[in-house]
Amino acid sequence: MTYTYKHLKDIITGTTATDVILRKEDNACVPIDEKNKDYQEYLAWVAEGNTAEAAD
Amino acid sequence: MSKIRLHGTSSGYTEIAPVAASGNNTLTLPNDGTIISKDSNGAVGVTSVVTTTATITTAKVGAAVTISESGIEASGIGITCANINGAQIGGRRNIVINGAMQVAQRATSATGKNSTGYYCTDRFRLVDYNIGTFTLAQQTSAPTGFNKSLRLDCTTADTSIAAADYLSIDQAIEGFDLQQLDYGLSSAKTITISFYVKSTTTGTYTLEIYMNNGDYFNSKTYTISSANTWERKIITFVGNTSNGITNDNTRGLTCNFWLSNGSNFEGGTFSDGTWHNTTNRRVHSSQVNIASSTDNDWSITGVQLEVGSQATAFEQRSFNEEIVLCQRYYEKSYNHGDVPGTNTSNGSVMFLSNRNSGTPHTMLRYATRKRAAPTLVAYATGAADTTGMKNLDANTVYSNYIMNRNGEMGCTAYPDATPVIGQFIQFHYTADAEL
Repeated sequence: MTYTYKHLKDIITGTTATDVILRKEDNACVPIDEKNKDYQEYLAWVAEGNTAEAAD
Repeated sequence: MSKIRLHGTSSGYTEIAPVAASGNNTLTLPNDGTIISKDSNGAVGVTSVVTTTATITTAKVGAAVTISESGIEASGIGITCANINGAQIGGRRNIVINGAMQVAQRATSATGKNSTGYYCTDRFRLVDYNIGTFTLAQQTSAPTGFNKSLRLDCTTADTSIAAADYLSIDQAIEGFDLQQLDYGLSSAKTITISFYVKSTTTGTYTLEIYMNNGDYFNSKTYTISSANTWERKIITFVGNTSNGITNDNTRGLTCNFWLSNGSNFEGGTFSDGTWHNTTNRRVHSSQVNIASSTDNDWSITGVQLEVGSQATAFEQRSFNEEIVLCQRYYEKSYNHGDVPGTNTSNGSVMFLSNRNSGTPHTMLRYATRKRAAPTLVAYATGAADTTGMKNLDANTVYSNYIMNRNGEMGCTAYPDATPVIGQFIQFHYTADAEL
């Protein structure tokens, strides 16, 4: 499956969260952690020229 | 002279006579002290014996130790030795987690799988790039001493394997857990991998270990001799004296059971126990293609990786020990037997809307320390396969939620909503920190 991504708003602070990104197809919260395999996949996706949607 | 008779002070004599022999025999006695004596009970004592070969039916050492064909019995005393089989004596030997396939948190059966992922028994990953489609199942068929195994069943065959395609089942081991191997040093340890395997398809298979630091590979073959019969395989790999394993929480060594491959992975001189970093040496040219027919399946259990050149008996761990080890890489709030997405409230997280103005939130604490910050999915209760969080009082599912401030031990979780204060929010979660 090819995933797509979206930034999330940290509702507590009211700003775009810098420690998590949403993987849209399964509604997963992927941490911004280079040792997390899903974040590594996200980085590879970005490296292919893709960009995550902005937060609402 | 055929005999010597020694006469004492009374009647009778002691006779020394040779056995029948065609060649020469030599009896050399020391030249000092009492060598052989007999006490009043008739027991013969010998001061010292050095022998090349002695055949003894039963040997007793003091009152506690008896050595016989049946074994060594040591009653009420300790045994001191440096090692057994060149490796650690006891305690925890198996570096592989969930080798007996007891734990299956994600599912006990997963159908239609044709891409890489963790689908069934914990820590064992299907690695599939463009070869066939499979059902993975935790099954009860197992050899004596086990009651679970992992089965890979081909449901869509593939006999046109492209050069870059590959198929295997693997388990990655964290660098933190491998420092005892001394890789990168002259003292690098030999390891032994043992496992039970059964398949419809007899023939040659490749077992590979590879180091993720620099992609160093080492492969050997094993043969499945009888179809549909559990067979135990034991394979030993020498240590890598040239390249070390980073002492961290990333992939250190991966144990890779090849099940099919494209031509890119063979054709060179097969590794056959030699460390290398060449792709076309990784798989034996006779490797079975388990995807060649939908009649094919392959099952495995009792996987053990231990230090030393001998395979010891499989180290049976309790279910709880095993699931805690698995939870470093994946945990869920559901009962073990409930697949994530099951419509149940058992084990769910529940908290009261706790902010008068703004978003209510809670702090999750994980069951055990995660390898790294995990990927998180929340599932609403009251419905099946629905991600989100449930407001029990308003009977509403919030499909948008955030789980952040995420570390090895916990995270903050909250719906993207502002429910009335005092309302119950309920959800399940999965936390995935797999390698």
